[in-house]
Amino acid sequence: MRGWISRLTLNQKLAVAAVALGAVALFAAPYPGSKVTLDARELALVVGTEADHVEAPELAAWIIESRADYRLVDLRTEGEFGRYHIPTAVNVPVNVLTDAGLGRQEKIILYSEGGIHSAQAWMLLRAQGYRSVYMLKGGLEEWKDQVLFPAVADNPTATERARDDRRRAVAAYFGGQFRSAAAVAAGASAMPGMALPQTADMPKVAAPPSPSGARPAGPKKKKDGC
Amino acid sequence: MNPYLAGIGLGLVLLAAFVLVGRGLGASGAFNSVIAWAVSSVAPEHARNNEFMAGYLTDDGSSPLKSWLLFEVIGLFAGAMFSGLLAGRARLMTEKGPRVSVRARLAMAFAGGVLMAFGAALARGCTSGQALTGGALLNLGSWAFMMMVFAGAYAVAYFVRWQWR
Amino acid sequence: MAMTAPFYQYGMFGEETSLVLAFLIGIGFGFFLERAGFGSARKLVSQFYLNDLAVFKVMFTAIVTAMLGVTYLAWMGWLDLSLVYLVPTYLVPQVVGGLILGAGFVIGGYCPGTSVAATATGRVDGLIYVLGIFAGMFAFAEMFPLLKGFYLSGAGDAMTIPGAFGLPYGVVVFAVVLMAVGGFYGAGLLEKKFAASVE
Repeated sequence: MRGWISRLTLNQKLAVAAVALGAVALFAAPYPGSKVTLDARELALVVGTEADHVEAPELAAWIIESRADYRLVDLRTEGEFGRYHIPTAVNVPVNVLTDAGLGRQEKIILYSEGGIHSAQAWMLLRAQGYRSVYMLKGGLEEWKDQVLFPAVADNPTATERARDDRRRAVAAYFGGQFRSAAAVAAGASAMPGMALPQTADMPKVAAPPSPSGARPAGPKKKKDGC
Repeated sequence: MNPYLAGIGLGLVLLAAFVLVGRGLGASGAFNSVIAWAVSSVAPEHARNNEFMAGYLTDDGSSPLKSWLLFEVIGLFAGAMFSGLLAGRARLMTEKGPRVSVRARLAMAFAGGVLMAFGAALARGCTSGQALTGGALLNLGSWAFMMMVFAGAYAVAYFVRWQWR
Repeated sequence: MAMTAPFYQYGMFGEETSLVLAFLIGIGFGFFLERAGFGSARKLVSQFYLNDLAVFKVMFTAIVTAMLGVTYLAWMGWLDLSLVYLVPTYLVPQVVGGLILGAGFVIGGYCPGTSVAATATGRVDGLIYVLGIFAGMFAFAEMFPLLKGFYLSGAGDAMTIPGAFGLPYGVVVFAVVLMAVGGFYGAGLLEKKFAASVE
């Protein structure tokens, strides 16, 4: 039985091998679908280091500097996004996140109202193999508290004054306004009578292009061809 | 070398590209990068305004010569030279048929290159990028392209046989 | 995370490394092109006079090899196929471009990759061909405003044959293998009939 194989020429052996491999490939399912595998221990370690948190003032600085190397993702619904969103954000509701085709080589920063959805979305993206995923610490709540409506001291020391001037400038840039620290400490509700900036009043910053299934975009937009 | 073995070697190189860098081989794009670089060195405004060339320039000021394809093509040159020297096939010569002059052959080579450039630009690739790469990935456009290449070549072959036979 | 390919897309190394890899991969590419004899225009065009069908044999063996490799690696979950770059479809310019490329191939005697291989092994016509490509690409770029409409016509997403025809991936793979092996057998017969040795 084995004899006939040894009697074939090299080319014929290659042909047989090819057809055999092709026949087995008939059953191939090359696209993984939505099943993922997780390395739980590795993820637990990453969670522990908190290296993937982004503070609100940090994000504000990036936006003001017009950095283009991140993709800010708003996980809320379309309606909520329309009422107010952090400038330069794109809207990808959390339930369609895994199909959105976000670029794997981009720095993705997720935010939601508080932190629950962004944490869950972080897990989903990490499970799919994304490496550069970050969460806005505290979500939109923290953004309002620290960037839009920062509490500035009533009798500032020199250092406090410098810090507060910065905060005031940042708040003004994003269409917010500062609050008195004393009033906040006295337990007044977070932002009484402070209206969120209207979309039209938000700083004109260039939003990164929308991630509708586009190829992963590196910092350069060179033609990725032949 | 046995063409099938050479083909397997080539296929494995292509597979390595897929596995390591998530893209296939190519050649024509490297030429575009060089042209974009050359033009932008001499007349940067013109290069930026030209939509086709601008696609090969970068936003952050780094050189268009830092292109994956260009490095690959330089490697191609080196690898081919090595193989040719190894096999004693490296020789300063002009490939041509017996009935045609060197001058005519070189003119045709130039014309062929010009045509090839247009074809590759329109098709977004050449036999390396589209046919080999796209073929292996079962890309529909690539397979259509591949068949058209064979069709075009066979159609024209009769009319230029004086060059080769 | 599991070691999944493509490694670059998973951030396992940076751009500098990918350029070094480009060079090394290119060496392999050029090496096997020349091994196959494709540094010679006469060998290449013999395909189109049916004397020596090495172009068909090498090209389709390479395609089948890489295709089987990709299919198996993706099937085993070691390669994420969705991250491998697929050229988008522009049906009309790709068809017309293919015809023009084929004409250029048999007129000039090379394709872009093989012309570089030929130049590397001393072929003057290879070098002239390369210059022709530069001239042609420059001309194309300059004429682009006129050609732009045609260039962008028939645009579509990147489509695979299985996707476009609704066939299972494995079925198409098997069909391609059969077609290739059948083609190789036929090529052997044609060569016997029209044999004319080239170097």
